[in-house]
Amino acid sequence: MVRRQFDLPFADDGSGRFLPWMIALMVYLASLATVAALTTREVVERWNAGLEGTATVEVGPAADDATTEVLVAQAIAVLRNTPGVAAADPVPADEIGRLLEPWLGPDAARENLPIPRLIDVRFDAHTNVDVAALSRALVTAVPSARFDSHGLWLDRLQALGDSVQLAALVIVVLIAIAAGATVVFATRAGLAVHAKLIELMHLIGSRDSYIARQFQFHAMSLALRGGVVGVLIGALTLGALTVMWRPIQQAVLPDLTIGASALVALALLPLLAAAIATLTARITVMRALKQMT
Amino acid sequence: MVRFQGVAMRYANGPEVLKDVTFHLEAGSYHFLTGPSGAGKSSLLRLMYLAHRASRGTVKVFGHDIAATPRRLLPGLRRRVGVVFQDFRLLDHLSARDNVALTLRIAGVREDTIRAHVAELLSWVGLGDRLDATPATLSDGEKQRVAIARAVIGRPSLLLADEPTGSIDESQGMRILRLFEELNRIGTTVVVATHDQRLIARFNHRVLRLADGQFSVERPTSLSGI
Repeated sequence: MVRRQFDLPFADDGSGRFLPWMIALMVYLASLATVAALTTREVVERWNAGLEGTATVEVGPAADDATTEVLVAQAIAVLRNTPGVAAADPVPADEIGRLLEPWLGPDAARENLPIPRLIDVRFDAHTNVDVAALSRALVTAVPSARFDSHGLWLDRLQALGDSVQLAALVIVVLIAIAAGATVVFATRAGLAVHAKLIELMHLIGSRDSYIARQFQFHAMSLALRGGVVGVLIGALTLGALTVMWRPIQQAVLPDLTIGASALVALALLPLLAAAIATLTARITVMRALKQMT
Repeated sequence: MVRFQGVAMRYANGPEVLKDVTFHLEAGSYHFLTGPSGAGKSSLLRLMYLAHRASRGTVKVFGHDIAATPRRLLPGLRRRVGVVFQDFRLLDHLSARDNVALTLRIAGVREDTIRAHVAELLSWVGLGDRLDATPATLSDGEKQRVAIARAVIGRPSLLLADEPTGSIDESQGMRILRLFEELNRIGTTVVVATHDQRLIARFNHRVLRLADGQFSVERPTSLSGI
C-alpha cells in the first residue's frame, strides 16, 4: 500500500500555507549572496593566478618617441640583467591602446598622446628577487620608471574578496536563522491547530517521534518546494544579470562567469532549506510534545 | 488488569469530579459503567485510558502505577488499551481504511500486514464495501463501527467504550454490544460506559455505578428486575 497522505490533515489548515513562499524568498536571497561570494572568490583567484610571479614597469613618456624607446630599452636591460627575472618584454603600443580604449576611445594609440610605456616582467619561480633593490636600480637607470609588483593591488583585491565572502556568509547564516524561525512559527501554529488529533494519536499509542515525523516531512516537503522555486527565480535573476553585465565586462570589468562551484551551491540550496526545515520542525514538535501528558 | 485505590480526579483547579473511587477489574471481565449524565463516567474512562492523571489515590493499569510510570512507557501501555470514543473521534480527511490502519501504523506494523488486517476487520464489522469512504459520507452507525474497528485492530487487552450506543438505534446498539461480548470471550477485558439502564438489563454483566462522584460495584443479579 503506497501512502499518499499525512495522518494529520495539513492540507486543510493554513499554518503552513505561507511557508513555501517565505522559504522561496529566503532561498532566492541566499542564492544571490552565495553566487556573489563564490564568483568573487573565483575572480580573485583568477587575478591572483594571473598576476602572481609578474610585475609591470611603467616608463613615463619623454619629449619624443625615440627618447622614450631608449628609456624603455635601458629599463629592459636593467631588468634582464637582474638574476631571477625570467622575462622582460615591452607591451606593444597596440595592446596599450586596447587597454586604454574604454577611457580614451579607439584611436588613443594613434593620436600621439603622452602615454607611458609598459614592460611586462615575469620572475623565475625558483629565485627570490629583491624587489626593492630592483626598483631602486630601475629608478637610478631610468628616473621616469616606476616598478609595480601588483602586491598592493592584489592585497586590496584579496581584502575585497574576503569582505564580500564574509558578508555573504553572514547573510546566508541570517537567512538560515530566519528560515528556521519561520518553520518554528509555522510548526507551532500547526501544533495548535491539530492539538485534538495529536491528543488522539497519543491516546492510541503514538510516540512523540511518530507525530514529529508527520510535521518534519510536511515541513521538508514545503521547504523543498519553496526552495526549488526560490533557486529557479535566483537562476533567472543571475542569468539576466550576466546578460546585462556582458557588454560592460568586455570593456572594463573582469570575467564574471558563474563557475561550477556556484552552480553546485545553487543546486544544494533547496536541499539545505529542506534540511533546516526538517530539523527545526522535529526539534519544535519534540519539545512541545514533552510538555503534554 | 486495572486497579483504582482511593482515586480522585479534578480538571485543572476545578472541583473533584471523582472522589475516593476504589475498584479492581480482573483480566477477562466485562463491566458496564453507568450513572447519570455528569456523574463522571467519561472522566473515569479518561483515567483508565491514560488521558489524565489522578489528583490523588493510585491508578494501576497492567500492573503499572501510572503516577510513577515514565512518560516514555505510556505509548506502550496505551497500545494495549482500545478506546471507542463517544464522539468517535475519526480523522475526517482519512478513509475508513486509513482511520483503522492508524492504530497499526503508529505501532510500526508493516503496510502489507496492515492492508490485509484492516480489510478483514472492516468486512467483519460490515463495512467491507466502505473501505475508502471518508467519515463525512458514513452514517453514525458506520462511523461507530469504524471507531470500534480502530479500537480493536491492535488486539487490545482492555477495551473501553464510552456511550457506544448513544447515537445509534437500539438494534445497532445490541449488535455492537454483542460484538464486544465476542471480544470478551477471546480474553479482552471490556468496560462499556452507558446511561441506558434498559440496555444494561439485557446483559448479565457487573455494573460499576457512579453518582455524584461516588462509586459502587453491583452484581448482575441486582439489575435483573430492570
